[in-house]
Amino acid sequence: MWKYVVRRTLYMIPILFGVTLITFLLFNVAGGDPAAQMAGKNATAERIEEIRVLYGFNKPIHMQYLDFVRQIVTFDYGRSISSKQKISTMIFGESPELSPVLTSLSLTLPAFLLTLLITISIALVLTVKRGSKLDKSVMVICLALLSFSSLVYILVGQKWLGYELGIFEISGWDPSWTERWRYLTLPTIIFVILSLGSNILFYRTIFLEEIFQDYVRTAKSKGLGQKVILFKHVLRNAMIPIITLVVIQMPFLILGALLTEAFFGIPGLGGLIFQALNEADFPVIRAMTVLITIMYMVFQLITDVLYSVVDPKVTLK
Amino acid sequence: MKQFITSMIILSLAWMSLTGCTKKKDLEADTLNLALSANVKGLDPAQAGDLYSNTVIAQIYERLFSYHYLKRPLSLEPRLADGMPVASKDGLTHTFKIKKGIKFQDDAAFPNGKGRELVAQDFIYAWKRVADPNVNSEGWWIFDNRIVGLNAWRDGMKDGKVTYDTVVEGMKATDSHTIQIKLIKPYYQLYYVLAMNYTAPIAKEAVEKYGKEFLNHPVGTGPYMLKSWVRNNKLELVANPNWAGQTYPTEGEEGDKEAGLLEDAGKKLPLIKKIVLREITEDQPRWLNFMKGNLDVAAIPKDNFDSSVVAGELTDEMKAKKIELIITEDPDVTYTAFNMDDPVLGKNKKLRQAMALAYNGEEVIKKFYNNRAIKAHSPIPPGVDGYEKGFSNPYKKFDVSKAKKFIEDAGFPEGKGLPTFEFMAGSSSTSRQMAEYFKENLKTIGINLTITQNSWPQFTKKIRERKGQIWGIAWGADYPDAENFLQLFYSRNASPGANGSNYENPKFDALYEKAALLPPGEERTAIYQQMRDIIVEDSPWIFGAHRLGYAVKHGWLKNYKPHRIIDDKMKYYKIDKDLKAKLKAKL
Repeated sequence: MWKYVVRRTLYMIPILFGVTLITFLLFNVAGGDPAAQMAGKNATAERIEEIRVLYGFNKPIHMQYLDFVRQIVTFDYGRSISSKQKISTMIFGESPELSPVLTSLSLTLPAFLLTLLITISIALVLTVKRGSKLDKSVMVICLALLSFSSLVYILVGQKWLGYELGIFEISGWDPSWTERWRYLTLPTIIFVILSLGSNILFYRTIFLEEIFQDYVRTAKSKGLGQKVILFKHVLRNAMIPIITLVVIQMPFLILGALLTEAFFGIPGLGGLIFQALNEADFPVIRAMTVLITIMYMVFQLITDVLYSVVDPKVTLK
Repeated sequence: MKQFITSMIILSLAWMSLTGCTKKKDLEADTLNLALSANVKGLDPAQAGDLYSNTVIAQIYERLFSYHYLKRPLSLEPRLADGMPVASKDGLTHTFKIKKGIKFQDDAAFPNGKGRELVAQDFIYAWKRVADPNVNSEGWWIFDNRIVGLNAWRDGMKDGKVTYDTVVEGMKATDSHTIQIKLIKPYYQLYYVLAMNYTAPIAKEAVEKYGKEFLNHPVGTGPYMLKSWVRNNKLELVANPNWAGQTYPTEGEEGDKEAGLLEDAGKKLPLIKKIVLREITEDQPRWLNFMKGNLDVAAIPKDNFDSSVVAGELTDEMKAKKIELIITEDPDVTYTAFNMDDPVLGKNKKLRQAMALAYNGEEVIKKFYNNRAIKAHSPIPPGVDGYEKGFSNPYKKFDVSKAKKFIEDAGFPEGKGLPTFEFMAGSSSTSRQMAEYFKENLKTIGINLTITQNSWPQFTKKIRERKGQIWGIAWGADYPDAENFLQLFYSRNASPGANGSNYENPKFDALYEKAALLPPGEERTAIYQQMRDIIVEDSPWIFGAHRLGYAVKHGWLKNYKPHRIIDDKMKYYKIDKDLKAKLKAKL
């Protein structure tokens, strides 16, 4: 297995360069002019040219790409051309409390785990009670939940629960570990509700697929109880699709939730790429692309390794 | 005895915690709570290019001049300068005295952490930073080709031939508290730019200590200091004990007294010890936080406008909460620009005038600005020298039949023979809707548009590379002088400069150059108006609107009189603590 992991890790290098090359070309062709952007509203031609020289935008394209590669290799992404802030600080923060990555995670990770727990439990109950009134009504509710835009939940949740009833803070943030939960409760609830519909339907389908398998019938005929069948057999066998879904979502948890963070004023990573794109902030876009690519590949690898752990039939070669 | 001691300890502990509590509460009640609708980038005055960073910088740093808080039209007054400067007869040499005894805030950059006295060299150093190509300041335009020897110094910095110690002929400290500026040619906007944050004095020690992180460690002479900053969340400012101080103005314009704006006349500033600035980028949370009393003042979002303002007044429900409406005229102009380089658009004055006549400006103001704007007849907004109340632009009225006649005169009856023009819109949905409405307007006279949506960087790139045909955009004043707007038509500022329309008219250029050499006064204003008339006739733009700022504030916030250009304003604000406690409980 270790050989496999090492080989996959080595594969990551060409993929990373491929992805960065495409991003680089795309932004050079379709992006705005960062020099004009930086020069501001009273800029002159000379001033824009000066900025090109200062930041190396005047160099031939392949030289600019080489600079980028150098950044990837040395892990030094320099500063944002828009805010002039250090990019590593913009992503990882000056301290754990002020870290945008950890801020995003403190919203998304608990919310995600909570969603997992709730949706798998509900899906298991529905699998047992399939076809019943309960099953049907929950399905209808799930579909209804899915048919609203995520913005609706945020706007209504904030106005009703935050403003009118005053149960939660309307928006805001306190970086201290002991205080931040006050601002996280409402966005977490909304995050969970947002993922409820699709996840319940997904897990229910998976469990239903398993429940009609021969091994379940065998187990039943052996006289095993419903609980044992569900938890020991069905859940274990449904692990592969569950792992796929869970691990694939991990990079997105780190990247934060754009809308939720923006509306609740949570200073995570959510808005970073969005803002960088709006300002033609190449250095930030580059750093984030590399980060996303690496995370995506790492979690893909973790998925494959986990497959072999939960399913003995899968061997990594 | 033991028991007595224990009870004493308990009592004193209880007392301490009690007083501690009241003190904390007191401070909270005496805190100004404001929202910024975009994130602050950094706090280096040389980089003060965006409104939000500027808002914070202006409370921490000071400039030679600032504007009188209450008087309108704006009037410049000395801030760090000791009186108004002395100018030589030819208008080329200006001598500024600096107030004595001004101190920088305490900071680790200074020996023993104690702020030292401000001297003339701190200004020279800051201004050189604006000129230094390696600092890459957006504010360079304020000095570019204005000051003797400064452009040469800038070029020298590029090659490493000069240093900050190299003396620039036109920018000298003649003694510890005197600065002399020598201009290449008269530059009457000089005093205005010396009221901009770019020119705030900077202690070299601070830049040397913090290096590239200086933008996160502001060290100013102003009324407030940065206490903490959680990026993209909030900034906390506290009163600077070293601040030399200032008193609240004793006079204002008509109506200020009745509005209660002179109640604190003569009092020592700042009136509030702590400011919390929350960076809230979305409308709803900003609005809800205001309505809950967590913010003292807020702009009214478009979606909440109809439910809070009826016929220009706040609803009774809002009034009952003692919320007040504040309307201000923003010195800005929105416009639809034509690229004069375009072979069809640039050569057909009648065609451009026809398009201006077909543009239903009043409806646009109703539909897209909730009536929060006034029709623009020229590029010069109210409150700016050169603005003429009652001036009427003959092409600034919605007249389809006249437009049809004009387009016929231009040789394109009913639009026949005209290509489809590209209209560049921004990326927002409002921008798209406005473009669609303009498209409908032009269709009535037979002109077709295709609309493209662009991110801001793509948008500016197309304009700078002269690739746009028609687009909608706006300009806000840097200082209250029409020159700041008229420069947008000066041919030497053509793309990639600020004259995105690439308008060129030798007559206009000559007047522009003439006005630049004149001091403020009737003669100059008359020339500004001549220039305006040329622009109106040539119609390189369709003038849109001058926007009005609609803000609401709670009754407990006092001394609030906003103006887009006055930025060092928070020291004047006051919170009526008792009223706040009473009103907030009901929200």
